[in-house]
Amino acid sequence: MDVLNELVAWFTDPGQWSGPAGIPARTAEHLQYSLLGLLISALVAVPVGLLTGHTGLGGFATASLANFARALPTIGVLFLIVLLVGIGLMPVIIALVALAVPPILVNTHEGVRQVEPALKDAALGMGMRGREVLMHLELPVAVPLIINGMRTAAVQVVATATIAAYVGVGGLGRYIVDGQARQDLTMMVGGSLLVVFLAVVTTLLFAGLSRLLVAPGLRALAATGR
Amino acid sequence: MITFEGAAKHYPDGTVAVAGLDLTVESGRTTVFVGPSGSGKTTSLRMVNRMVAPTSGTVLVDGEDVRSQDPARLRRSIGYVIQQAGLFPHRTVRDNIATVPLLLGWGRSRARARAAELMESVGLEPSQAKRYPHQLSGGQQQRVGVARALAADPPILLMDEPFSAVDPVVRTGLQDELLRLQAELRKTVLFVTHDIDEAIRIGDRIAVFGPGGELAQYDTPERLLTHPVDDFVESFIGYDRGVRRLAFFPANELALREDVLLDDQDTVERALNTVDTAGQPWALVVDAQRMPLGWVDVDRLRHEPSGLELGRLTLTAYGHTFDVERDSLRAALDAAVLSPAGRAVGVDPDGRVLGVVSQADLGNAIWSVS
Repeated sequence: MDVLNELVAWFTDPGQWSGPAGIPARTAEHLQYSLLGLLISALVAVPVGLLTGHTGLGGFATASLANFARALPTIGVLFLIVLLVGIGLMPVIIALVALAVPPILVNTHEGVRQVEPALKDAALGMGMRGREVLMHLELPVAVPLIINGMRTAAVQVVATATIAAYVGVGGLGRYIVDGQARQDLTMMVGGSLLVVFLAVVTTLLFAGLSRLLVAPGLRALAATGR
Repeated sequence: MITFEGAAKHYPDGTVAVAGLDLTVESGRTTVFVGPSGSGKTTSLRMVNRMVAPTSGTVLVDGEDVRSQDPARLRRSIGYVIQQAGLFPHRTVRDNIATVPLLLGWGRSRARARAAELMESVGLEPSQAKRYPHQLSGGQQQRVGVARALAADPPILLMDEPFSAVDPVVRTGLQDELLRLQAELRKTVLFVTHDIDEAIRIGDRIAVFGPGGELAQYDTPERLLTHPVDDFVESFIGYDRGVRRLAFFPANELALREDVLLDDQDTVERALNTVDTAGQPWALVVDAQRMPLGWVDVDRLRHEPSGLELGRLTLTAYGHTFDVERDSLRAALDAAVLSPAGRAVGVDPDGRVLGVVSQADLGNAIWSVS
């Protein structure tokens, strides 16, 4: 098992674990881009989804836009934006946002839409204003689905942030890109394993987050739901 | 007081939900809107808290047009209970009940104290305060729904088919609870149902809505049963209205027979003497505390050894009894019809036998009140 031995050697080489090209530094870059991309996406998608869900307006537009964005090849978006604004971090973040917005937007919209009409009737009938219905009823009930969307987006973003290496801003993608260039299979597999590991950690993190943020009364529903 | 003045709701497609309602709902009373589906009863109710805007006419609360108030503010001053409770799944029972007080800015601790108070008055255990709606039964959820509507102590309570989604036994319990609460609180209750029995049971006044959103009759339950204005109302009430009307006459005016009561220590011989003197074919055996044990008939007694104690005989079941002080003629009649002896057993609140009444005697009593 040469590959395995070489991988072990690659991971255990002390040189791998320090310096600006070491695993810790690359992981930090990778996480930084992912987090930034996800954060911007959430800041855009959650409010828009809440608004379209609450008003019932733009539901079709939201879904169409999201499907369109889903069909975009991320690497294509990256190169297109590089052509427009030049190399740097910005094209990477924009490409990641284009990737992460659709699942968050669609889930937020759907999460608000699925609130039973009887509950909205009760909320309005008790004298809640539109904003109060949104904040006290629709948002809390939509939280499980929103977190679900964020998790999907986060895993995709972590896996896709490797593209940062194509435009020279580092991240774990460097191992894959450099490994490919040097025909160094060990390096490519090592980099990929790190990305997979991060994706798994991300999933676990969101599982914990949903425990924290979903009201206990909704957990039984969330467990059966989508 | 709630006044409907020519309140109508026409939809753009030509459907008439409410044809133009003129009606006054008295304060401190329970008024029921009853009718088949599509008769406009729910639409009319929802005009009161502006959940529906009439296309013509007005609705006034205490003389003031509801449209002169901000809808949210108006709704906070009117309790609202809907079918299947409509509780917020993410909030505990306590916080569900505290919804309106929190909207009114009472502060959390005062709102929660109020919620605890209400849980007690609607018959919920304090231990249920921190539970979530999905952990409660349908009947319990509806109790929370009622408590939530009462939280800010509104003078008016709108109840839109609140008990229609629970089973009949639970529904009766909820109706009893509402009657008890209402006797204490004296709210202006407007209650919508499609169940005429429920309407008669809880309403002080009943508005029967007909097809096309027309008000067919507005009367007391008793008047409705004795004088339905037309064929529609009569068929909607059902053809046993004569029997139902008996629910309005107390059973305490019945003449109960005590001369056919026998002690379980009595002998068969003594029993035969008693029934012969009374001229009755059946006698009721009771124990030392006058609790009923069962019926025994004359033919049977003639075949038993004369020295035998009645307590040693296998008696005929006495069926269900009626409470002389609290039940109506209807309950007494029902007990007599179901009794194998054709006689109903009247008891006091502790279940002790006061006397028995035969179907024939009941017939006379019914004749005299009709």
